[in-house]
Amino acid sequence: MIRYTLRRLTLLIVTLWLLTVFLFSLNYFFPGDALTNMTGIRASDTLAYQQAFAARDFDASIFSQYLNFLGHFTQGDWGQSLTNQRNVFGELLPLLGGTLELALLAMIFAMALGAPMGVYAAGQQRGSMDRLIMGISLSAYSIPVFWLAQLLILLFAVKLGWTPISGQINPLFDVEVNSGSIILDILVSDNPYKTAALLDAINHLWLPVIVLAIMPATMLMRTTRNSMLEVLQQNYIRAARARGLSESRILLRHVLPNTMQPVVRQLGLMFSVLMSNIIVTEVIFNWPGLGSWLVKSIYERDYPVMQGGLFAFATLILLVNVCVELFHAWRYPQVRKELYAER
Amino acid sequence: MSIWRLWLLTPIITLAACSPNPDDVPPLRNGIVYCSEGNPESFNPQLGTSGTTIDATSAQLYDRLLDYDDAQQKFRPALAESWQALDQGKRYRFMLRPNVNFHSAPWFTPSRHFNADDVVFSFKRWLEESHPYHEVNGGNYPFFTASGLNRLITDVVAVNATTVDFYLKRSDSSFLANLATDFAIILSAEYGAELLARGEPDLIDKQPIGTGPFVFEEFRKDLIIRYHRHDDYWRDPARIEQLVYSITQNANKRMLKLITGECDVIPYPLVEELAELDTGDEIQISSTVNPNIAFWAFNTDHPPFDNVLVRRALASAVNREAIIQTIYNGNARLATGVLPETSWAYSPVDQTYGYDPERAQALLAAAGFEEGFEFDIWAMPVQRAYNPNAQKMAELIQSDLAQIGVRANIVSYEWNAFRRRLARDEHDSVLIGWIADNADPDNFFRPLLSCAALNVGTNRANWCEPEFDQLLMQAISEPETDSRKKLYQEIENWIYREAPLVPIANSMRFQAHRSDIHGVEVPAYGGVNFRHAYRASSTDTGEQP
Repeated sequence: MIRYTLRRLTLLIVTLWLLTVFLFSLNYFFPGDALTNMTGIRASDTLAYQQAFAARDFDASIFSQYLNFLGHFTQGDWGQSLTNQRNVFGELLPLLGGTLELALLAMIFAMALGAPMGVYAAGQQRGSMDRLIMGISLSAYSIPVFWLAQLLILLFAVKLGWTPISGQINPLFDVEVNSGSIILDILVSDNPYKTAALLDAINHLWLPVIVLAIMPATMLMRTTRNSMLEVLQQNYIRAARARGLSESRILLRHVLPNTMQPVVRQLGLMFSVLMSNIIVTEVIFNWPGLGSWLVKSIYERDYPVMQGGLFAFATLILLVNVCVELFHAWRYPQVRKELYAER
Repeated sequence: MSIWRLWLLTPIITLAACSPNPDDVPPLRNGIVYCSEGNPESFNPQLGTSGTTIDATSAQLYDRLLDYDDAQQKFRPALAESWQALDQGKRYRFMLRPNVNFHSAPWFTPSRHFNADDVVFSFKRWLEESHPYHEVNGGNYPFFTASGLNRLITDVVAVNATTVDFYLKRSDSSFLANLATDFAIILSAEYGAELLARGEPDLIDKQPIGTGPFVFEEFRKDLIIRYHRHDDYWRDPARIEQLVYSITQNANKRMLKLITGECDVIPYPLVEELAELDTGDEIQISSTVNPNIAFWAFNTDHPPFDNVLVRRALASAVNREAIIQTIYNGNARLATGVLPETSWAYSPVDQTYGYDPERAQALLAAAGFEEGFEFDIWAMPVQRAYNPNAQKMAELIQSDLAQIGVRANIVSYEWNAFRRRLARDEHDSVLIGWIADNADPDNFFRPLLSCAALNVGTNRANWCEPEFDQLLMQAISEPETDSRKKLYQEIENWIYREAPLVPIANSMRFQAHRSDIHGVEVPAYGGVNFRHAYRASSTDTGEQP
């Protein structure tokens, strides 16, 4: 396990390092002045530009420029926005909180919905419910998220009037932004109307969470179903049945744990899909998160912000994938054996 | 399966049931959400001309020396209690109001009331290039440059704490009108000095301090601007405690948010869907006759638009009636000249080219373009009060021009890039417009077509004709209204002959609001004002303090 962990971590570090090389070279590939792209300081602001030029070793070779860039980058100096001159790293943190809140809730919802449905469908194999669930899951899987979001907005917000359609909370609740996750921010705030604010926030939250959760949920449903059908045909299940164990005991003790093995492996992939959907969802729901921030920066050609957003997204996806792999290998030793072909 | 189904629906139903009732929660009851169409460029209207910035700042954060009353068409005292013209109109003396408080905010606590130093500070900031704040945050003051105010005022002198004298180069009948615009706001000199001492002068336009009815609290780009009430306001304090601008750039989204109740007031609702909106009694539409003009300007520096025959030909080739019907759904008037009907100098004589493709072809032939030519039409990517859909308008013009053999390409960029490139004169022609800042007809001509406006980026036609400029100057130094009216007719006729731009339409400015919101004012000249706005409670119809 230690060897495996080390290997994964080394891979992670190497990938992150390559990412910084890529980000650094982007400064030169983007149109305009490389130093401006990197720091967000325009040449017209002569004094600040000269200071940045010196601080960033811009008269030295590309290689030492990169080292310098890496130094600034690891210290959280990601430059300032070209449009509003705000510190990119400082702006990013609360947005990351907003994105994580949405992603985590969607992930939990998808698991709570997808896994049981998959188990249920497998139990009813070839039955009408199985076909129905699989049919729904396949069609839900093929609906692009931007369209789904619009449909649900039309239904729940415009026709039924159950929910608002944008932002984290009614802006009249003056909740100070700390973590960026609205639920946490309300809980730590000293707002006198905490309960009302919390209800309002949840009311803003559930629709984007559902929109986001649908695609991973359908993926989970099908993976769980297929994996469970496979497990059900294993000899040890037959043996358990032959020994007269009760069906529920077989299901809980033998089928489910083994079913979850390929499902856990899929979680990393699901998270990546979720991340690409979250960009669209955040834009549609005006959610103050990394995704809408990144898209906006692309529209505005705000290169320092673009780099920050790209790095944050890529790192998030990498980290989650590595964590999932490590958990998978720790929880299911047979996987490690396969990996090393241990005897 | 029934269990599954129930389980799926529970969270949705529980959540939908728990949205708080606005009447029970004081912040929701005592606040208004205005869904604005974009980010303000700064929090100081002196620095820009964009309507978005004006809407977000002027009437909320600041006051002017005097206000203009649309209804009675006269000036009203504001920070100046009274004023008089001296030395044959070359000196104006303003007597200032005592006991006016500046905002107290976490970043600044005023130690004194408003006085003459603040007036001098606010005007000299853009007037004097040597002023320590002149270059701060760009150093461009487009309104003052375009209106010529920076060349008209020679000095601003504080006679004593409550008296200020303005010295003018010559008498100018539009001077008071310009001081009453949303741009001529009063900043705090004390705050300016404090920031300078702290070495952070640029904060003056980012964490603003003014005397207005609302105090700035926070701004998150693309998300919100939050203001709260200024309790020590010198007039009656605002009726709402909190005012939030929720920035919603997409017009469809704005309308949806109004329907779901997330917005209380929205500007620029989509004209095509207006009728649909009006049906519900939850939402009301108000319109103000807006002194504006949508026009199509030719860049007279770019050939072939340096040729007046070509400009006249294109002006005759466009079916403007069709544009009014298609783009504005009839909610606009066909422009008869540059001045809209709301101006006192307006005359009903039509000073535009009618739709006449044959004449257009003849003119083109005379100019040597029998075969036609190819050029770009730049169409704004955003809606403005004067033009709800420039892209569609460009398409209509494109097809009209195709009939006389002229090929037009439609070009558009993101709004800020669009304006930047326009200022660099990269365009052949552009569909844009103008909203008057004050009641004086001069505001339609000098900012749009004078040589002085070339450098500030409001003269989209790149039109500079010294004799025409002279006529403009003559019109503003003339004190008699009747003679001025004649001069403006002459100016209109000049524009008709030379056709640097094609006036298209004068539209109304629309605004939609929830029916429980009252008192939101959109003056004809200037930005939206929330000082008298309030939300009528559904439980008690009595008015909130």
